Amino acid sequence: MDLFNSPWLINMLAKSSKTAQGRLLSLFDILDDWLKAPNVDKKATMDAAANSTLIAYCAEQARLLGAESPEVLAEHIVLIARSAAQQAIEQPSSNSLAHAKKAAHALILAQTHKAGLFSNLKESKPAIYGLAASLLLIIGASAIWMPAFMHSGPAQAVATQTAISTEIPAAIEDKQLTALDASRMYAKYEQMRQGTCQFPEALQIPDQHKAIYLENVVGGKLPSDLADLAVANFYLEKVRCNFTPMLMAASK
Amino acid sequence: MSSMSSLREKILNTASNLFQTQGINSTGVDTIVAVAGTTKMTLYKYFNSKEILILEVLKQGHQDFQNWLNDKLSANTKKPSEKLQKLFDYIEEWVTSPDFNGIGFIKASAEFPKEDNPVHQLSAEQSQQFRDYIKHLAIDANIQDADGLALQLSLLFKGAAQAEQMQRGSGAIKYAKQAAKILIDGALKN
Repeated sequence: MDLFNSPWLINMLAKSSKTAQGRLLSLFDILDDWLKAPNVDKKATMDAAANSTLIAYCAEQARLLGAESPEVLAEHIVLIARSAAQQAIEQPSSNSLAHAKKAAHALILAQTHKAGLFSNLKESKPAIYGLAASLLLIIGASAIWMPAFMHSGPAQAVATQTAISTEIPAAIEDKQLTALDASRMYAKYEQMRQGTCQFPEALQIPDQHKAIYLENVVGGKLPSDLADLAVANFYLEKVRCNFTPMLMAASK
Repeated sequence: MSSMSSLREKILNTASNLFQTQGINSTGVDTIVAVAGTTKMTLYKYFNSKEILILEVLKQGHQDFQNWLNDKLSANTKKPSEKLQKLFDYIEEWVTSPDFNGIGFIKASAEFPKEDNPVHQLSAEQSQQFRDYIKHLAIDANIQDADGLALQLSLLFKGAAQAEQMQRGSGAIKYAKQAAKILIDGALKN
C-alpha cells in the first residue's frame, strides 16, 4: 500500500486525537507503527509523491490550531514525515520518526508563536504553574459565581474564593486539563455566549499569545494544556460581557 | 594546461546550472555542450559518461556549500553554541537568495530514487555528511544527544529547502529557523 496516498492514513489521523495538534503529530506515530509492522512492503510505502489530500487534511488541522501559514506548515510536516520515513526504512535504528515528531512540534510552536511561552515554561515552571493555579482559582470562583453574573452587569473577576484549591495540584502535575478544568472552561464559554461580549482587539495581544487568544478565547475551543489554559484565562478575564436582558437595557 | 582545466570547469559549471534549473534527467549531453560552446568529444574527454559528470557536479556543489557555510560560521562566531544557532541564519540567507535553485543532494536523490544507483548513493552520503557536520557542531556545544539534535535539524532543513524549492518565498525556512532555535535552546538546557 502506498501509505502516503491512502484514505486509511487520513482515517487513522482523524481518530487519533481530539486536538488538531494531536492529529498532526500522530502522523509520525502512525508511520512508525506502520513501518515496524511485519509483512509490510516498505518500499511501496514511499513510492509516490505525497498526496495533496494528506497535505490538505494537515492544512485543515494547522488552520484549526491557529498556524500563521497553515499550508506551509502542512507541507513542511508532510515533507519531514516522508524524509523521516525514508530514513526509518534505510536506518531502522535511527529512531528518525520520533525525532521528526520533535522537529514538527517545534515547527507548530514556531507557527503558533508559542515558542516564548514554551521556553518560559522551561525556565520558570513554578512561576507559570503559580499563574496557572491563580487563574484556575479565578475560573473556579467565576464558575461558582456564574449564576450571579447571569443577572448582573459586566462580568468581573472574583479572585477571593479558594474552594477548589485542593484540586489544583493534581491537574498541574499532569499538565493536561482535567475533566473539571474542561467543564469550567465550557461553562465560561457558555456564559459568554449568553451575553453581549466585547473582546479586546487581537492587535493589542502580544504575538506569542495571539494564537491562544484567537483559538481558545474568541474561538471558544478548549486549550490543549494547562499553560495554554493559564494564558486563555488571563485574556478571558479581559472580555467584558453584558448579560442585562435586552428589554431592561433598552429601558435604561 | 590551464585552458584545458578551464574548459573542464566551464563544462562543470554549465552542467551544474542546467541540472539545477531544468533537472538532471531532462538535461541532455547535447544541451550541455551547446550551452558550454564545446563538443561531445571534449566533454567525454573530461568526463567518461553523463553519470560521472553528474557525480562531479554533485561533489563540487556540496563542497562549495560546505566551504561557504564553514567560512561564514568561522568568520562570524566564536562560541560553539553560537555556531549551532547561527547555522540556520546562514542557511536562510542562502535559501532565500535569488540564485537558490534547490539543494543538489535532495534533488538528485529524488531524480534517482533507486538505492543501487551511484547518484542516489552519493546524494545519500552527502545528506549524511551534512547531518554529521551539524552533529559535530552540537558535540562542540556540549549537547548530550548530539545525534538526535542533528537529525531533528537536518529534517527541518531538508523539509524547508524542499518547500522553498517548490514555492519560492513560502516562508518555510523562516519557520524552520524559529523551530531550530526552539530545539537548540531545549537541547542546550538539558
